[in-house]
Amino acid sequence: MITSLANWILTFDILSGMGSSVAWGLSLFVVAALIFVFVAVNAIVLVYIERKVSAFMQVRLGPMRVGKFGTLQTVADALKLLQKEDIIPKMADKVLFIVGPWVILVASVVTFAAIPFSDTLLAANMNIGLYYIVSISSIVVLGIVMAGWASNNKWSLYGAMRSAAQIISYEIPVGITLIAVVAVVGSLNLQTIIEAQGGTGNLFYWIPIPLPNWFIFHNPFLFIAAFVYLIGATAEINRTPFDIPESESELVAGFMTEFSGLRWALFFLSEYANATLVAFLVAIVFLGGWQSPFADYEGTQIGFSIITLVAIMWTLFVRTKTGRLSVYPLGLSFVITIAVWLFPGFAIWLASPGIFWMLMKVGTIIFLLMWFRWTFPRLRVDQLMYVSWKVILPLSLINLMGVAIWMWLTGEIQF
Amino acid sequence: MGRLNAEEMVLNMGPQHPSTHGVLRLKLRTDGEIVSHIEPVIGYLHRSFEKHAENLEYQMVTPFTGRCDYLAAMGSEHGYAMAVEKMMGIELPERVEYLRVIFAELQRIASHLVAVGAFGLDVGAITPFIYCFRERELILDLFEMASGARLLYNYIWIGGLAHDVPPGFVEKTYEFLDAFDERVAEYNQILTGNKIFIERAADIGVMTPEVAINYGVTGPSLRASGVNIDIRRTEPYSIYDRFDFDVPLGQGLQGTIGDSWDRYYVRVLEMTESAKIIRQALDQLPVEGDVKSAIPRRIRPPKGEIYFRSENPRGELGYYIVSNGKNVPLRLKMRSPAFSNLSVINEIGQGWMISDVIAILGSLDIVLGEIDR
Repeated sequence: MITSLANWILTFDILSGMGSSVAWGLSLFVVAALIFVFVAVNAIVLVYIERKVSAFMQVRLGPMRVGKFGTLQTVADALKLLQKEDIIPKMADKVLFIVGPWVILVASVVTFAAIPFSDTLLAANMNIGLYYIVSISSIVVLGIVMAGWASNNKWSLYGAMRSAAQIISYEIPVGITLIAVVAVVGSLNLQTIIEAQGGTGNLFYWIPIPLPNWFIFHNPFLFIAAFVYLIGATAEINRTPFDIPESESELVAGFMTEFSGLRWALFFLSEYANATLVAFLVAIVFLGGWQSPFADYEGTQIGFSIITLVAIMWTLFVRTKTGRLSVYPLGLSFVITIAVWLFPGFAIWLASPGIFWMLMKVGTIIFLLMWFRWTFPRLRVDQLMYVSWKVILPLSLINLMGVAIWMWLTGEIQF
Repeated sequence: MGRLNAEEMVLNMGPQHPSTHGVLRLKLRTDGEIVSHIEPVIGYLHRSFEKHAENLEYQMVTPFTGRCDYLAAMGSEHGYAMAVEKMMGIELPERVEYLRVIFAELQRIASHLVAVGAFGLDVGAITPFIYCFRERELILDLFEMASGARLLYNYIWIGGLAHDVPPGFVEKTYEFLDAFDERVAEYNQILTGNKIFIERAADIGVMTPEVAINYGVTGPSLRASGVNIDIRRTEPYSIYDRFDFDVPLGQGLQGTIGDSWDRYYVRVLEMTESAKIIRQALDQLPVEGDVKSAIPRRIRPPKGEIYFRSENPRGELGYYIVSNGKNVPLRLKMRSPAFSNLSVINEIGQGWMISDVIAILGSLDIVLGEIDR
């Protein structure tokens, strides 16, 4: 297995003529550029998807004019933002005003260096990958405070102070929930964490329902931990219902109030980069990362048949207005099931680990985050702190203890 | 180490702010997130309605009334028309009365939809707002059918209506009503019962009945405090005494009586009650009748003065008109419900956080056009 993208690039023949240090630097640069391109394209795609998702939730169409189904709308918006006049308020602290957005962007882009997209595709295979991501992503708060303070605007200041308080409070429970998983695996390496989740296992070790061996199904405490992490992480990336730092109906735009044009685009970029990062972490740590949910191709066939059966049952028996299933998921699962039974090759492909499953899981989590955003109202500052310190933090501590006890009971660790 | 020198900060909320429902400026004295004093500064939308009215003939004032409370133009026109009619002693055809009630109640639903949706927006829920506007569009379609306009109608004239409703109007209104009850259930599902929403609205900005009465708060905000005063019921005007409807009161279902949640929920309930009134009015609507038959050739109310009040979506809308027998009012004063409702903000908003002040302001449902006139 190639340990990192940079090493893989070094194997190219073109680089063989250069000196080894030049080649090494060049390959690092290529990797960095690739990550940045991923983040930028990802933001553009996600903004489009978020607009469409929100539109469908709100009985609208969303962007429809630029490109087919408005697909080029966000590209056009990005170009517009690039062209806009660069405004720095007169009384602003110029240096911090300029540096702030970049600090946020860099902090959120750099984390992707440690994210494994598949078993071979990753920029750096660190043995402390999880620790690296958690620590680097918390630098974001520095940029936010810089931006909020530099704007010399009361609303920005409120936004920045709220954000600092929020991110710092939620970092602790989030970190502790992640430690629970680390306790199970015994490693901070993300690849090791994912590899530990391969194959099939029973639900909560004892209940004989065959499920993928993901940590969310590993034991009841990790099941809770997954949700605690998702809630905490939603708060850490300032998304609704925890979007108080930029709550548009209260603080105008929070710490972003005075920013426009490219600098504002940087905030946006990092916001979506952070959302993606959280989705990646949930997928990696709790949902088996690039592991397929099916053990082999027979498993795929049976698995999809069960999914279709459930969908059919749902359609037949759940007929309430809000609970009923749309025709699309039913049709999709039906088509996939037939395909899986007809073409074993397809089933084998589905059963094999890869970037497809990773992106599927990440996409699902991101959709969940969008769903939150367009459904929930916003919490108040003190309620947010209450949730963090009095609900989520104790819960995550109990979880950590519970995981340890559970593992001792099931004999996974011995003293 | 000396003492940390912390002082209060004055924060200008508005006139350019997403949650001030127009161009209101709130001068907040804040200690961190806690607001210790709120001073509303109004007048940014002042258009001299009352002075204008002193130079306009009576029938020419009608369109201006709609421009005051632009979210409830039908209600404003209705109140004004009734005031002048009472001065002149005009008897209206039955059909006119019924159609006016139908329009006033449709307007009440439309206005409450904005209030409910915007309150959701103020506490951060964006989607319910769009849902509310979806239904409001249907009502505006009905208004467009009847008057040709969607926001400012100039439809209810002194002594009658501008036109009769077009064929198909009654059927379309029935259709709307049939769909509407289900939609209200949808709002309740997405917003009313939402845990976060309850946390944000319940027990926030409690307005006791005493405070409400002292400040002259009227309408749903008053009834949310448990005071049973609805002019449609206490002094029935027009033909409201013929209909069977309830006056929803705040019961403190999620917190204290008179909190923001109650003010929100009373509006939700009132929409259902208005739908009930419209349904009854449509059932009883006389088929025959010329809506213009009672419109006087000359509008010259006899010498004297009148104060006429009606129940607008926002509260007691009063018109005080002094006539000297000419075709131009000597003085026209509008008692704006939102003005009195806004005045209570310092009393009930003190000591809450900035986010709460916005929620409280949203729950009072003000329209700046009417406050500034």
